[in-house]
Amino acid sequence: MPVSSVFETTIERLSILEPDGTFDESLGKNLIPDQDLVDLYRHMMVCRQFDVIAFKLQRSGRMGTYPENRGQEATSLGAAYALQQSDWLVTCYRENAGLFWRGLPMEKILLHWMGDERGNHIDPDLHITPLAIPIGTQMLHAVGLAWADKYRDEKSISCTFFGDGATSEGDFHEAMNFAANLDIPTIFFCQNNGWAISVPTKIQCSAPTVAQRALAYGMRTIQVDGNDIFAVVKAVRDAAEVARTESRPSFIEATTYRLGDHTTADDARRYRDADEVSKWEKQDPMIRIRMYLEKRDLWNENKQNEMQAEAEKLISEVVKRAEEIVDPVCNDMFDSMYASMSDNLKAQRSTLRTSSLGQNPSQLPLKDKAHA
Amino acid sequence: MAIKQPTDKSHFLLPDLGEGVAEAELISWKVQAGDDVAEHQTLAEMETDKALVEVPSPWSGKIKELHGNKGDIIDVGSVLVSYGSGSAATDNAGKSSDDESSGQEEDAGTVVGNVSGELTMPASFSREAAPSVASGSKSLATPAVRRIAKELDIDINVVNGSGRGGRVTASDIQAHATAGSSPAPVASRPVAAPTAPAAAVPATVAPEPDTAAPMPLAATRVAIAPEGTVEKIPFQGIRRKIAQSLHHSVQTTVHFTVVDEADITRLDQKRSGFESLLGNRLSLLPFIMTAVCAALKKHPSLNANVDDFMEEIHIKGPVNLGCAVDTDHGLMVPVIHGAQDLTFVQMSERVRELAGACRNRSVPRESLAGGTFTISNVGSAGGMFATPIINYPEVAILAVGRAKETVLTRNGAFYAGLVLPLSLSCDHRVVDGAEGARFLNTLVGLLEAPETLLPEV
Repeated sequence: MPVSSVFETTIERLSILEPDGTFDESLGKNLIPDQDLVDLYRHMMVCRQFDVIAFKLQRSGRMGTYPENRGQEATSLGAAYALQQSDWLVTCYRENAGLFWRGLPMEKILLHWMGDERGNHIDPDLHITPLAIPIGTQMLHAVGLAWADKYRDEKSISCTFFGDGATSEGDFHEAMNFAANLDIPTIFFCQNNGWAISVPTKIQCSAPTVAQRALAYGMRTIQVDGNDIFAVVKAVRDAAEVARTESRPSFIEATTYRLGDHTTADDARRYRDADEVSKWEKQDPMIRIRMYLEKRDLWNENKQNEMQAEAEKLISEVVKRAEEIVDPVCNDMFDSMYASMSDNLKAQRSTLRTSSLGQNPSQLPLKDKAHA
Repeated sequence: MAIKQPTDKSHFLLPDLGEGVAEAELISWKVQAGDDVAEHQTLAEMETDKALVEVPSPWSGKIKELHGNKGDIIDVGSVLVSYGSGSAATDNAGKSSDDESSGQEEDAGTVVGNVSGELTMPASFSREAAPSVASGSKSLATPAVRRIAKELDIDINVVNGSGRGGRVTASDIQAHATAGSSPAPVASRPVAAPTAPAAAVPATVAPEPDTAAPMPLAATRVAIAPEGTVEKIPFQGIRRKIAQSLHHSVQTTVHFTVVDEADITRLDQKRSGFESLLGNRLSLLPFIMTAVCAALKKHPSLNANVDDFMEEIHIKGPVNLGCAVDTDHGLMVPVIHGAQDLTFVQMSERVRELAGACRNRSVPRESLAGGTFTISNVGSAGGMFATPIINYPEVAILAVGRAKETVLTRNGAFYAGLVLPLSLSCDHRVVDGAEGARFLNTLVGLLEAPETLLPEV
């Protein structure tokens, strides 16, 4: 018996609007109506301003940790634009643009990073789950949500976002395997920004693409230019179509780059070359959209300045709303974990003030620390 | 650590600039007193253990006063900037000297910030509402000056301030201390550690156990004639960490030093043999390190740490061998963990790797901690014998001098040989003189009989 090939494939990469403004008419025509594209660009400007101010809020002690989104706006925004309101957006923590497009009030994100549980209280009609900080957990939730909706015959699908690092976690395998084997309509959207905090992708994935990890599960997969909103919209629409009509999952690897630090507790200059960053700055998703819009006379310097002023005003109002809310109370952290609180949590909550203080040596007054 | 800012916006307290950051070094001011600043405008550049960051103003207003000078280490929660147009004399801001006895709970670095607002009101502000009656008015001073006062056990409120607006300066504190108008300062008393390791300096001479914080450099002031000074260098950064660690070692341990020489003529021949075999340069250091590991196996009491707080001597199994490295930014001691299991070739690679990492400051923190014995290769710079200072909490350190060709005798005949000077300092509290000498004998024996130590070429 000679050696025969049992499986062959290629990984496709989709790109429509390139960094230099080159536009593929055959793929991109009628994909996004002009007025929608203007709205998407205006939305990105607001998100970027949100980012600038959120960063400063952390640095002046008005907010806890914050992960900058700058540079990755086209991924979650393109996906949110391509999906329907009834589809679940199951994000990690760098998808502000998509969440705001869906309709999440911006101050919710600020409240979340201020450590206020009310930031996670989200209108159920938005079909958004709270930010997932532990890496990878949300992929399983997305599969569960879509599975539940399929079971109830509700036609909605889920789209979950995660980074390249998350694809090296066990949760990723379980979520992918369940979705593929049980025909769950979930879109796995990987934002490959080249870095899992300070670990470069090549150290934790020896395959040339992350997209090919999906092949092992028998899942349809594609790589797209994540800084090209047209490519993202097309890939998500195609995946959504397959999910709705065939109830099958898809994998999308969107190559992108975070232009800022991992979070405000990080200093990316310690592990990334300035050359690499400046190379990616030129590929900023906003630059190419603006170029495209200006070429078509849909945008100009005046509109840019007006919109910038509008964004600044809007964000300062958002900050005001987040800061003027009455202070949260300690009990909040117990109240949102389970639908009905377990007995031990009830006990902890009632004794928070008395018993829990002093049990942890780090909470002791300094002078007593040495004897703890 | 969540910091609640005063609601009247009169003062801006330094917030946690990262996650669980306890202090930051002031690099430069971007504004000055009297400036009108806008919300989000950069006030200062500061460096935490993690990053160089810009600190923006949380609100708009007029700057009344900047607290701290370039190079000051400022605690999170201290006043950084005062706002308003009033006179500085009514300003009661600043961390008062008895903060730490006030029983304020410190929230140790949460991921998402302040959930429980009420617990974290800084003590200086909760007290401000109820002014102290006993000591009359409170003194004005920067956090750095308050810290000096605290370290010297001086109530800053009884010190006369000579600075702007009656501000108490460092010189005032020192003058007060020398004048003896307060209880005599006890220079050797270890003060409470800062709430977190002083992490702005990534590389320290030795890790500082929480229970044994190094004491301040300032004790009493010795008058120094101002004539002839061409430069004043702030005692800061790595230099200060080195000073603190060494000072603490000398204050705590009881040093004695024994010296001897080893005839390494044959060892050096072996070294050249390996050099030509491996095709790259090999120094003597890895051979000496291999010999030290073998000698420590025979004399385990020198491979130890002392826990002075618990009054325990920890004899260690594995040899975590520190190796003093001279760098542009000062002395650093990277540690080779599990050195007893390395061949001299591996040892040589590790030394090169760690020394390189120290020089470009990329050495991981864990490679600067956990040492059980240290070698200082002073001979690479020159010199014969030394009295090395123990890298506390270790109990012994070996200084290796420069090998020199000299005339030796054997069986009544002269011959030319290569001699290596060795100086061993031990903590006499743990190691007696005879044991130190025995260790050195073993080491000399191993170095003089390299065939017992090394494979055949």
